[in-house]
Amino acid sequence: MRDENQLHAAVVELVALENAQIKYSTVQNWYPGDENGRGGIYNFVTKRGECRGANSRISWTQVETGSAITWKYPSCILTGDNSVGEFYSVAVANNYQQADTGTKMIHIGRNTRSTIVSKGISAGHGQNSYRGLVKILPSAVDARNYTQCDSLLMGAQCGAHTFPYMEVRTPTAIVEHEATTSKIGDDQLFYCLSRGISSEDAVNMIVNGFCKAVFKELPMEFAVEAQNLLAVSLEGSVG
Amino acid sequence: MLSIRNLKVTVAGKQVLNGLNLDVKAGEVHAIMGPNGSGKSTLAQVLAGRDGYEVTAGTVTYQDRDLLALAPEERAREGVFLAFQYPVEIPGVNNVYLLKAGLNAIRKHRGEAEVDAFEFLTLVREKMQLMQMNESFLNRAVNEGFSGGEKKRNEILQMAILEPTLALLDETDSGLDIDALRVVSNGVNSLRRADRAIVMVTHYQRLLDYIQPDHVHVLTGGRIVMSGDKSLALELEKRGYDWVKEDSAAA
Repeated sequence: MRDENQLHAAVVELVALENAQIKYSTVQNWYPGDENGRGGIYNFVTKRGECRGANSRISWTQVETGSAITWKYPSCILTGDNSVGEFYSVAVANNYQQADTGTKMIHIGRNTRSTIVSKGISAGHGQNSYRGLVKILPSAVDARNYTQCDSLLMGAQCGAHTFPYMEVRTPTAIVEHEATTSKIGDDQLFYCLSRGISSEDAVNMIVNGFCKAVFKELPMEFAVEAQNLLAVSLEGSVG
Repeated sequence: MLSIRNLKVTVAGKQVLNGLNLDVKAGEVHAIMGPNGSGKSTLAQVLAGRDGYEVTAGTVTYQDRDLLALAPEERAREGVFLAFQYPVEIPGVNNVYLLKAGLNAIRKHRGEAEVDAFEFLTLVREKMQLMQMNESFLNRAVNEGFSGGEKKRNEILQMAILEPTLALLDETDSGLDIDALRVVSNGVNSLRRADRAIVMVTHYQRLLDYIQPDHVHVLTGGRIVMSGDKSLALELEKRGYDWVKEDSAAA
């Protein structure tokens, strides 16, 4: 196997003009290195988008299952009035993978809205970090943000970290943040087993359920792929 | 069908079952009653194969096989079913999807083909009617946001569809109002069959007004100290568990 690391550094920039909508979906499964953390891709990516026109929308959807280290923070600058930014993410860190990802939503225009749904799954010695910035400038009257940030832990050696930042400079803004951390429950697992379902299928089922809010944002063929990738990435991580 | 001999179980170093004996034949309904902490739920969990319970002595024979040697999913495929006292929520996993996965795993084990999607839905609808559950249940996640009564109905619905040989009902009556209790009991009664055994664990006699057991056992201090027919439950209701404790202490 390859035991040196390779770099993938990509830059993606999106601009949405008046009434335009852009949906950018990624399913990433670069080589993550071996089970001891040797080798693998460094996936350092710059992704940013500007909703320049009124009523425009940019939607980032990502499923990150591969790479030894991922650093990736797709952002939206919401300049146009009534523009919408969205970020839906599933990130998996198994073995010695590190997934450090999140988003920036910068509200400038009036009545701008953003939604962030981030699901991190950690297994083995994997470490997942969510970094988010929600910045609402004084000009962004009536801006709204909703953030949901959930972490699922499998096993005792993995970690989940969340760093949400909010800068709100508009009194009319409404910003919500919800975060949960759960361990893949012995109770849930046993419930499935006691219905005749194998432990591998049960884990897949529970993890896919956890990611459902993101997967439903993916185009159909991607969603199927993502589910299968998730199963492969987490193979053998429980029981 | 089921034969338990001298079963001793510890949980986190504490002795919970202490030489329990029980024989259950096909077609029978057994009620196991006892005060809180007597080991009733432990018995149900151990039979279903839950982790964290250490069997230190004794045997459990189910259909001439060593039940304790089987993994929980193997037990389920061999026809053992546990209706949970506290059914768990699994967010994002569709109720029907879980049920179908379970049924298919069991069918595969029996060498049968996977169930056809349309046939399955027809079957689920029919059984839902039996349990008086509404259509919205089809699209909801496993037990998520279900009321206590809905969760218990859902357990019996699963039992109706998975068609177990040995059904263990763990405090299925707890948290039910009288209407829900009637629906759940009707569901269980409709599932009584000559080739199926039902073991229900309960704290209260109330359930036995609806589901009439063939045998009633009193479990206290980790073993069955008294067995009888339905009248034993009534006696218990009248005199309380202390009566049994004193009685067994004297014996």
